[in-house]
Amino acid sequence: MCQSCHVRAVSTYRTAGSDGQQPGTTGEGAAGLTTHAPQAANTVTLPGSLDEAVEALAAMPAAVPVAGGTDLMAAVNSGLLRPAALVGLGRISEIRGWQYQDGHALLGAGLTHARMGRPDFAALIPALAAAARAAGPPQIRNAGTLGGNIASAAPTGDALPVLAALEATLIVAGPGGSRREIPVGHLLAGFEMLGPGELIGYVRVPLLHAPQTFLKATGRTGPSRATASVAVVLDPARRHVRCAVGAVAPMPLRPLDAEAWVSSLIDWDGERTLAPEACAAFGEYVAAACIPDPAPEPVLEAAQSPQHGEPGTTLPPAVLHLRRTVATLARRALGRALA
Amino acid sequence: MTGMGGSAGAAGIPDLPGMAPSAPATPAEPPTHGLGVSLPAADAAAKTQGVFPYAADLWAEGLLWAALLRSPHPHARIVSIDTSAAAAMAGVRAVITHADVPGDAAHGRGVADRPVFASELVRHHGEPIAAVAADHPDTARLAAAAIAVEYELLEPVTDPEQAFAAEPLHPDGNLIRHIPLRFGDPEVTGEVIVEGLYRIGRQDPAPIGAEAALAVPRPDGGVEIYTASTDPHADRDLAAACFGLAPERVKIVVTGVPGAMGDREDPGIQLPLGLLALRTGHPVKLAATREESFLAHPHRHPTLLRYRHHADAEGKLVKVEAQILLDAGAYADSSAEALAAAVSFACGPYVVPHAFVEGWAVRTNNPPSGHVRGEGAMQVCAAYEGQMDKLAARLGIDPAEIRLRNIMATGDLLPTGQTVTCPAPVAELLRAVRDFPLPALPLDDSEADWLLPGGPEGAGEPGAVRRGVGYGVGMVHMLGAEGADEVSTATVKVTGSVATVICAAVETGQGFSTLARQIVQEVLGLEEVYVAPVDTDQPPCGPAAHGRHTWVSGGAVERAARMVRTQLLQPLAHQFGMSHELLTIADGKITSYDGVLSTTVAEALDGKELWATAQCRPHPTEPLDDTGQGDAFVGLAFCAVRAVVDVDVELGSVRVVEMAVAQDVGRVLNPRQAHARIEAGITQGIGAALTENLRTNGGLVRRPDLTGYSLPTSLDTPDIHIVKLVEERDVVAPFGAKAISAVPVVTSPAAVAAAVRAATGRPVNRLPIRPQSAVSSNAGGLGG
Repeated sequence: MCQSCHVRAVSTYRTAGSDGQQPGTTGEGAAGLTTHAPQAANTVTLPGSLDEAVEALAAMPAAVPVAGGTDLMAAVNSGLLRPAALVGLGRISEIRGWQYQDGHALLGAGLTHARMGRPDFAALIPALAAAARAAGPPQIRNAGTLGGNIASAAPTGDALPVLAALEATLIVAGPGGSRREIPVGHLLAGFEMLGPGELIGYVRVPLLHAPQTFLKATGRTGPSRATASVAVVLDPARRHVRCAVGAVAPMPLRPLDAEAWVSSLIDWDGERTLAPEACAAFGEYVAAACIPDPAPEPVLEAAQSPQHGEPGTTLPPAVLHLRRTVATLARRALGRALA
Repeated sequence: MTGMGGSAGAAGIPDLPGMAPSAPATPAEPPTHGLGVSLPAADAAAKTQGVFPYAADLWAEGLLWAALLRSPHPHARIVSIDTSAAAAMAGVRAVITHADVPGDAAHGRGVADRPVFASELVRHHGEPIAAVAADHPDTARLAAAAIAVEYELLEPVTDPEQAFAAEPLHPDGNLIRHIPLRFGDPEVTGEVIVEGLYRIGRQDPAPIGAEAALAVPRPDGGVEIYTASTDPHADRDLAAACFGLAPERVKIVVTGVPGAMGDREDPGIQLPLGLLALRTGHPVKLAATREESFLAHPHRHPTLLRYRHHADAEGKLVKVEAQILLDAGAYADSSAEALAAAVSFACGPYVVPHAFVEGWAVRTNNPPSGHVRGEGAMQVCAAYEGQMDKLAARLGIDPAEIRLRNIMATGDLLPTGQTVTCPAPVAELLRAVRDFPLPALPLDDSEADWLLPGGPEGAGEPGAVRRGVGYGVGMVHMLGAEGADEVSTATVKVTGSVATVICAAVETGQGFSTLARQIVQEVLGLEEVYVAPVDTDQPPCGPAAHGRHTWVSGGAVERAARMVRTQLLQPLAHQFGMSHELLTIADGKITSYDGVLSTTVAEALDGKELWATAQCRPHPTEPLDDTGQGDAFVGLAFCAVRAVVDVDVELGSVRVVEMAVAQDVGRVLNPRQAHARIEAGITQGIGAALTENLRTNGGLVRRPDLTGYSLPTSLDTPDIHIVKLVEERDVVAPFGAKAISAVPVVTSPAAVAAAVRAATGRPVNRLPIRPQSAVSSNAGGLGG
């Protein structure tokens, strides 16, 4: 008999649950048992509100919340993660839009990158819109969410430096309808963590009514992860420039000294312009703060580069290039914000 | 549908689909089949609709799933392997290691130096150590992870320059091949000397579908393996030797090939699967993850090249000295052939009176290298074109002009002493791309229409962008070299009005099955041609590489079709009392030269089947001797590319704006397919030039995924203008056609590097071009 008659194409592999057991095919001993995992249908919950989602998480401590799934499902598909249960956040309509509150925007954590990239959103928070537009190909932007970007906290997450520069606050929903606030920087730096059963519900972002920029350097012209990114926001009310650098460290970095220095140079009541040299100096300042020179080696190193204390002579070329990239991005970002 | 208006013979077949509705006599209508027509591929609809079955889609009754345990270390001694925990897991049917290989322990193309499973030593990250068959893929993976292997870590050899002095990584030694090419007088020197050191990275073929296979045991004790092999007979022989079976009892059935930029499929998957199927008596399947695919399949040889070009004051080349070092990874695979190509084409398509090239292929503990389109030729092209740019800059001559002053033509010598006998219209190609109008500068456009380096949401700034134009001229050889027996066998059958082609040449996406249909259409005048699926019960056709199927298998199909034609027409000719050459077949009808006699193919066949089998074997070649001399190649193909790039010189980001290509194709057999192959080759070349490099750290592959390994996207792919296809027929090739796919891959990285060089003034001697190599302090914006 031709063996190839048994071979045919199917679109998915079969499991015992869908196909039924074939008693004749099992062998003896341990090999006789099947390990086909029964795929129980009740392991995915689709709550309709934030509090229901928190309840569902509290009821199943092993459950993992999933919004766009762009990071989570990749890990599941590659076998790195086997969640016992999923709580899908896609049906919680209250976190898929935004509202206004005391000069702030209360952004739902379920806002997709595609939604944030649209012009009406860009008019509110231009840097976040720019980051959302740069965050991968359309398929990813249609699925990926703001809250997911924060929760997965990938170093290359494009929204993160913008949120850090905006000094956004996370509103976290907890069991029993409780709400608490965490500054985004605290969560990203690990000062404060999400507790069991807690979910990021909203992100409160100040509406600054001033130019903001987000710039990202990548390795190719098509969608790609950032090798470095810079967000610059102007806060005219507090007469401050805020800046955050993404992708060069595990979390976004805030060059506070460079911010304070450049804020002091700007005529906030007048034209709000700076000389190109000042922008360039700001870029260098930011870059040196985010990618510092290695701690000086005793004696020998100091003796070797005596002339003008050339910064970074001991950094490898790739790191020097990264520093130059950050300097260029910061200079351009500030220049465009002030233009 | 077709334009032949005569209705005399049509009475017998009134309801042919497509014939009946509105067949007005319009003889000017272009032909819809035969050679020179853009016939669509037969499987195009199924592939675009996603219903075309690949190996990963196959399923069989009683299927088990396999998983491989791969080495997490690049170099280690295996102290012990304990499979007991894995074997005791519920659902696990078999666990096999090197001890369970009944036949030859080692396999390989050419040199059998690669074990099926590592036994004493692991020599690269991802080398298979054991395999598991279980009733669920997750169980198989968990069981593979439960195999306890004790390693004694060894220092990996990751720098090919250190391989010469290092402890042998393999009983065969670290030097796989050395070619010291000597051509001309070593004492000659030029008035101008330029030197350069070039490094080429590790490009991965990154096929869209990762490796997968299904092995099914046969009742006779043999095994059938369903996989996307590109060289099924070689894979079968290799498998049979490892299984300890006669080759007849192993059958490889070729499934759809989801992308092949070189050797497709990994014996490291097929062999364990076959062993597991034989062991368990069940069909066993494995679909590799992307990570496994990156770790295990052959990559392009990372290469270090040192060049010294001597020229006279007019820029005429006097002598080329070169040292070429290929990093072969742990096993020989096809590195010897890659080295032969690298050394033979080390001077490029230029006339060089004196050449001294030392080439080495060495073993390291880096990921394995092997056949990837244009291997050897691509690396040297990037280097010799870099040298030509250097020479042009030194002498103040235009880069295209200095190339034209040295360009090769038919009748010139390669540094291997072989005379170029095939058409070599290289000067015509280069002039064609040089004279093609340059793309407009975007100065007058609004910024929105200008895709800046870094992409639409990138950080590009028009003021920091410089534009550069660069040229690359490249060459590859066609078919296997150095005495390889390049033979292909094809069978053509005609029944009714349908012809069938049976030929083990694998359709890898290169378009062979479409071409085979066109050839039979051309010879037999039948529109309906079916190309049978490939398995190893058919006679061997060799690997799908170096354009050999267009030439060798296409030639065999043509001969077989001609034999069928003779069989078909001979009785008729005899009946009509004329030579069969005076009869023509078109649209299923046989007509005499004067149009008096006419019948249909179906009538002439009278219910019979006609079969014919033919072989095509091109003229033999010879191995390179110990000074690198010899007629090693059957044919050569050439290409010229002009690249236009925009570089953001502060960030070092590069965008290719336009690629203009002129190529020596012999004859265009299917225009649409030819264009598609060239565009695909150029795109792969852009990847090699800008982003594609599988990075390793101490022999460990870093980020083996498609996020870490950046392929060109549609935004990275520029306008590709095929400026000219020079159709000078190669008289020794069937139809005069040359291979198309490889030479654009070889040439375009060199052109992109030249353009970045022109834009930045930096040397650009490393591919892919790193951003820090494209940063420049050149003042002034685009055009300013």
